[in-house]
Amino acid sequence: MSVYGWSGKILRVDLSTGRIWTENTLEKYKDYLGATGIGYKVMWDEVPVGVKAFDPENRIIFGGGPLIGSGSPCGGRVAITSLFPTSYPVELIGSGHMGGHWGAELKFAGWDAVIIQGKAANPVWLSIMDDKVEIRDARQLWGSGIYRATAEICAEMGAEAQVAAIGQAGENLVRMACVMTGNSHSAGGIGGVMGSKNLKAIGVRGTGSVKIKADKKEWKELVNYVLSLAGSNNQWVVPSTPQPWAEFHASNSRWTARKGLFWGAANPPVETGTCDPRDMNSIGYRCQKAVFDLGPIAEQFTVRMDGCHSCPIRCHMQISVPTAEKYGVSRYAANTCIGWWGRGVIKTYPDGARGMTALEGAVVGKHMTDDYGVWCNYGQINRDFQYAYEKGILKKVLSEKEYKSIPFDLYEKGSPEFIKDFVRRIAFREGEFGYALGEGSARVAERWGFEEDYYGYSYNIWNRKLGYPKHHSTENGGQVGALINSQYNRDAQCHSHVNFYACGLPLEIQKRLAADVFGSGDAIDAYRNYTPMNVYKAKFAKWSLIRKELHDSLPLCNWMFPWIVSPLKERGYKGDTTIEAKLYSAVTGDKKSEAELDLVAERIFNLHRALTIRGMGTKDMRKEHDLVPDWAYDYPKDAKPFTAGHDKMDREDMQKAFDMFYKECGWDVATGAPTKETYQKLGLGFVADELGKLGLLP
Amino acid sequence: MGESEKARSMLGKELQEKVVDGCECIESGGNTGFLKRPTTRRRFLKLGATTVAGLASMSMISAFMANPANAGKVPVIVNSKGVLLADPARCAACRRCELACTEFNNGKSHPVIARVKVYRNLNFGPQGGQYGFYNSQGGKFGNLRVIQDTCKQCPHPVPCADVCPRGAIEASPTTGARVVNPEKCVGCKICMAACPWDMISYDPDTKKATKCFLCNGKPECVAACPTGAIKYIKWRDLTKQTPPRAAVYRQAPDASCATCH
Repeated sequence: MSVYGWSGKILRVDLSTGRIWTENTLEKYKDYLGATGIGYKVMWDEVPVGVKAFDPENRIIFGGGPLIGSGSPCGGRVAITSLFPTSYPVELIGSGHMGGHWGAELKFAGWDAVIIQGKAANPVWLSIMDDKVEIRDARQLWGSGIYRATAEICAEMGAEAQVAAIGQAGENLVRMACVMTGNSHSAGGIGGVMGSKNLKAIGVRGTGSVKIKADKKEWKELVNYVLSLAGSNNQWVVPSTPQPWAEFHASNSRWTARKGLFWGAANPPVETGTCDPRDMNSIGYRCQKAVFDLGPIAEQFTVRMDGCHSCPIRCHMQISVPTAEKYGVSRYAANTCIGWWGRGVIKTYPDGARGMTALEGAVVGKHMTDDYGVWCNYGQINRDFQYAYEKGILKKVLSEKEYKSIPFDLYEKGSPEFIKDFVRRIAFREGEFGYALGEGSARVAERWGFEEDYYGYSYNIWNRKLGYPKHHSTENGGQVGALINSQYNRDAQCHSHVNFYACGLPLEIQKRLAADVFGSGDAIDAYRNYTPMNVYKAKFAKWSLIRKELHDSLPLCNWMFPWIVSPLKERGYKGDTTIEAKLYSAVTGDKKSEAELDLVAERIFNLHRALTIRGMGTKDMRKEHDLVPDWAYDYPKDAKPFTAGHDKMDREDMQKAFDMFYKECGWDVATGAPTKETYQKLGLGFVADELGKLGLLP
Repeated sequence: MGESEKARSMLGKELQEKVVDGCECIESGGNTGFLKRPTTRRRFLKLGATTVAGLASMSMISAFMANPANAGKVPVIVNSKGVLLADPARCAACRRCELACTEFNNGKSHPVIARVKVYRNLNFGPQGGQYGFYNSQGGKFGNLRVIQDTCKQCPHPVPCADVCPRGAIEASPTTGARVVNPEKCVGCKICMAACPWDMISYDPDTKKATKCFLCNGKPECVAACPTGAIKYIKWRDLTKQTPPRAAVYRQAPDASCATCH
């Protein structure tokens, strides 16, 4: 029987014994789609409470899902699921996410996912050449950076192989380590888990195919339909400047293309141009992300835009900055958004945040962090360092000798040289400085005795217990963003709400479109002018979260989908929230409606919740887990909640928000724990049974 | 007469018509050409460029077809009408061209059989991974430039067509593209070894070779490219301006060549 979408096989590897075996995807995991869904199921079934992130019994699950490699637009992303090393004090369930071409290659090699357990006696790497899988000696690669490891593995497997590797940070069990693929795509926080298994890299070469169930013509029509509704990165559907085709524009839009704006270092330079949304051959120019992320100065250094497999929205910029070579790194650098975090190690550059030195800092930072494989906890590592330095804490916690060895003069001067020193110390766990900052925010805050002001507005910490920062929180939808930020064990990697809030359309259009999806326009407020909680916002928050899990599991990029909006005036700017179900049904032949697929996503989301409850050993999520920081209620000091110009929330109203959200989710309102009935309704009866035995049902 | 034979005889007839077309083309200053007498490839190209110098007689083709050594083979002589022209400066490396090629033609996503190839140049460019030098060469680990490989629809002698022992690579009667006739192809892969640009693939599902056939005049990759980085243009000889990717396997001149050369 032919399998469509999925390859039908999951690769299992036990590095302790060297055993390699196969599982049937559809028999075991079809109800969980792929990626995070499969990851959570494996973690539930196989990793008992008490196992730590770096124990051999921990599992690390790499994968896409039925849509990866299928050509579904924006369907190239991979989730890597495990116990998340920075979560504190218990290492709870979490995922890192990366794009690139690795996941598609894995599918072409015939695998839906790779599940690794155990610990190899010596450093190894995993070679996957279609169905030929080998555990290879990596002693010669251990200690080398990600770039070199990738080049050497490709020299063995073929230049076209895709490699996911850790750098020295992951090897050294730095909690703030990432997994990298394709030069600029990193999965945060999870690198140390690979290091703990003595696994340097997974190289993949696939010569097979992904079979599409739908008829060729039907599939082409669907793909073209989906493309016709795409905006720019984060589904900005209006351009940043007035355009002949556009009724609206918004200066902060990621649709930056315009006449006179170039990929300036292309040879010859390429103009991004007008980019009419009906022109399918200019979608890739819409997002000139270099100028968006790094300022107008970056235009002349932009070689081109890049991104993940099958995605027409190119959000990863490729830049060539010759003067960066004076710092001893290649001029060629690629990344996007927070991937440039190395630049932010330095707070003040001599010629400003968007000057030439900052741009060189971005290049230096990219090479240091992406070669050593250091993660930033959504930029928090920089704030941790800057807090400890500015408050004089470093002087207290470091020995005099170590303190003097750190070139703070370069930091003060704003020299990119400092970034090299900073990242190296963390990757190699050098001294107290490198060790503590590499442990993650919750641990460094406790170890170094960060005071109450660290938990204030300026340092971004959202959940002080787990040590993660805000990530599209109250600034994106008030209560909706707050609820979303309270649900994970790391920074909420959820963009479902952002892709609607920050689309650039006028509020009245957004309200009209929100009413179609959530039953009322009251689901959405004006930016920084929030209204008290209502049930439509609770629906919006729940929908955003389950769609995030859906996107991670299919996969479709949650930095693009879901699409409540489109750039098309003739459609009244309406997007299509059934795209996920349409693509899934067409590719796999398993016809599912939007509601049916949302139910699968809800199952996955609730399994994540159950893993958190089991891991924490408490059902009182409301009090113990779903935190909102004080600054969300207290900053700005003199502002009144529900007035214009700020994100300040109201304590009582926020409690009402949790009540409504829990009700929407079918969770117990007192504790925020899913009820037995909810688990059963979602096909998670086995979860309810186990939690019942543990006394963790409400 | 069986279906395949019918097709074959039709093809012969159409080719003859093409030859006439070709002559007309040359007379009207077009860019297709035809050989009159034995010549070198270089001379042939020169002839092609200098218009009227080398026109064929119908009797030559008839003689070729009549020669038993040429059973089933038709030399691919007329130039293609069109060719794909890829602009690497515009390529954003999303590989939607590879996807469109195989999905809309074959109903599956299958990069290794894609007739436009980006995947193999992604990491390190056309030169491949090289110890210690990767960061100064092509690809995402090098100078960030990614190149799309496309079929040149070679002028005569067409390497893939020439080496095929079954004469399975033919000029499409509509576009002139060099296309694999699946009824003749036996999947021996010799054509793959002959292409200097490594543009022929073997489809494990059909067990036959596959190559760019210009989607019968409406190339899917061109329509799908989100940066307009591939154009479908009137044929021009791109073989001289693209360095070969692969060491070329050349078959010894076929006995059939002697008919014309």
